[in-house]
Amino acid sequence: MNTQRIGAIFEKDLKDFMKNMMLLMMPIIPIVLALIYSRLGGDEGLPIPMLYLIVGVTFSSVTASCMMTMMAEENEKKTLRGLMLSPASFLDIIIGKSLVVGLMSLVALAISLFLVGIEPFLNVQATIGLILLFLFFLFLGIGIGLFTKSIASTSAYLMPVMFLFGFTPMIDFLVLGEDNIAITIADLFPVMQLIKMHDTNSWTSIGIVAIWAIGAALFTYICFKKSRTDD
Amino acid sequence: MTSFKLDYESVKSEILPPFSLNLNESYTTAIYSDTDMQAELLHTIRSNGEITVFDQQEGLYDRLTVVDNVSFYRKWFGCPIPLPEILVLFELQMCAKKPLRKCSQSEICRVYYAKYYMMNKHPMVFQEPIHGVDIKTINTFINMLKKVTDNKTPALILVSNLEHALLLSDVAYKLQEKGLQEIEVDIAEKDEVTPEAESAPKPSTLKLFKIPAKVEDKVILFDPLEIDYIESQDGRAMIVINEESFALDSTLAEIEKKLEVYGFYRCHRSYIVNLQKVREIITWSKNTYSLRIDNKPKSTIPLSRTKIQSIQDMFNLK
Repeated sequence: MNTQRIGAIFEKDLKDFMKNMMLLMMPIIPIVLALIYSRLGGDEGLPIPMLYLIVGVTFSSVTASCMMTMMAEENEKKTLRGLMLSPASFLDIIIGKSLVVGLMSLVALAISLFLVGIEPFLNVQATIGLILLFLFFLFLGIGIGLFTKSIASTSAYLMPVMFLFGFTPMIDFLVLGEDNIAITIADLFPVMQLIKMHDTNSWTSIGIVAIWAIGAALFTYICFKKSRTDD
Repeated sequence: MTSFKLDYESVKSEILPPFSLNLNESYTTAIYSDTDMQAELLHTIRSNGEITVFDQQEGLYDRLTVVDNVSFYRKWFGCPIPLPEILVLFELQMCAKKPLRKCSQSEICRVYYAKYYMMNKHPMVFQEPIHGVDIKTINTFINMLKKVTDNKTPALILVSNLEHALLLSDVAYKLQEKGLQEIEVDIAEKDEVTPEAESAPKPSTLKLFKIPAKVEDKVILFDPLEIDYIESQDGRAMIVINEESFALDSTLAEIEKKLEVYGFYRCHRSYIVNLQKVREIITWSKNTYSLRIDNKPKSTIPLSRTKIQSIQDMFNLK
């Protein structure tokens, strides 16, 4: 790891982010969604599942999607060739990019949560939950970004990520009945676990989300190994 | 930093002959070959993974400005030279604030040069570095090569164009099936003496004089005035007209004698130029010269240092 290189990548990608319309539109989605929902909520504020829907949309459309797009663009335009001095420099690139994505996610999340009411998230447990959820989506984005070869193909990968992990609270609206298998499985998904955590205050939910994050990290590691051997 | 040895004596390849070449750190080396041979050579160089070839095939960040690109690469490769100095060295100060996608091909080429220079590899291998760029860009490249040599880093240039090989390098080699051979750059006076003894018989009908060239089984007769220039390849003279070239049966020295009266001039050991077609005399920064021909591809052919005086006299230049 080399902080000077991480700094260089961070600065470059931040500038590039500001000039890339495709990436800039992404943080707008959760903010607009938050704006619409905040009108619906009335005085009492939105129910917890709705808040987590916005959190899920933010992380899937900003964190995972931007990470994927940035990595895919470097793959597509072959800009990384020549930058790779050692396997360690690849880590620098990923960390630099993650910092940019992290910053953007934080801004988008802060704005959208301010619009719908940030109070339910202002405790240690919820914050840890959000950080773990962020890591889960970040690793998912890096992993997919490692093997996508073009920007166009990222949207194909983004859709399942967005609907499965971002919009999980929406599955309730499908009205499938209480003990439907889909609902049971969906209840184990990270966003659903965090909603449950607000009801029960239990740390087991945090633990399950942590397992999801570790799983995503493993997925990234496998993709990384695979992309290394392909070269 | 010391010299570097390319050793491909034991490489088994159908196209590439076995050879080894010592890259000296105090001068630039060029290998001139056709494109197939060049591709094979590149493949061989890349296969051992030690050497990075600068081929301008990788992408740059085209949404970012020139200065953003250069400053990113400078930080990434940890280059100690200040940013303004790099920009001036590669003549990028005028387009520094332009996004790369709006830059001309020559400007983008100079960004590549800046990147390669900052990468500070040892040795530096360039593939077709000045293909299709303007004179200013060629000059910055020559300046860069000078800096690279001053840093005691060996530089190798792979080109498929003899003019480029002679212009950019101090020592040029030609790579063919039969092996690697050095192209002599200096004009040896002894070469000039030999044709005198032969005293070729003067063509009796001077006004009807045509140059015959063989193309497959046909013989084409060229009017001397339509010829752009004649270059020597493996001791045989080749007539060049626009993008096409035709082999002659005689040597350069013989043809020089015949064409003198039509305003042809031996401007280099391997070149005879039609002076009527010279559009420009270009002075490069390392005190070398080229002649630009007024033909379709705007060819530049080398002009020997020893011949510049007589060319200037001929055109009444001071």
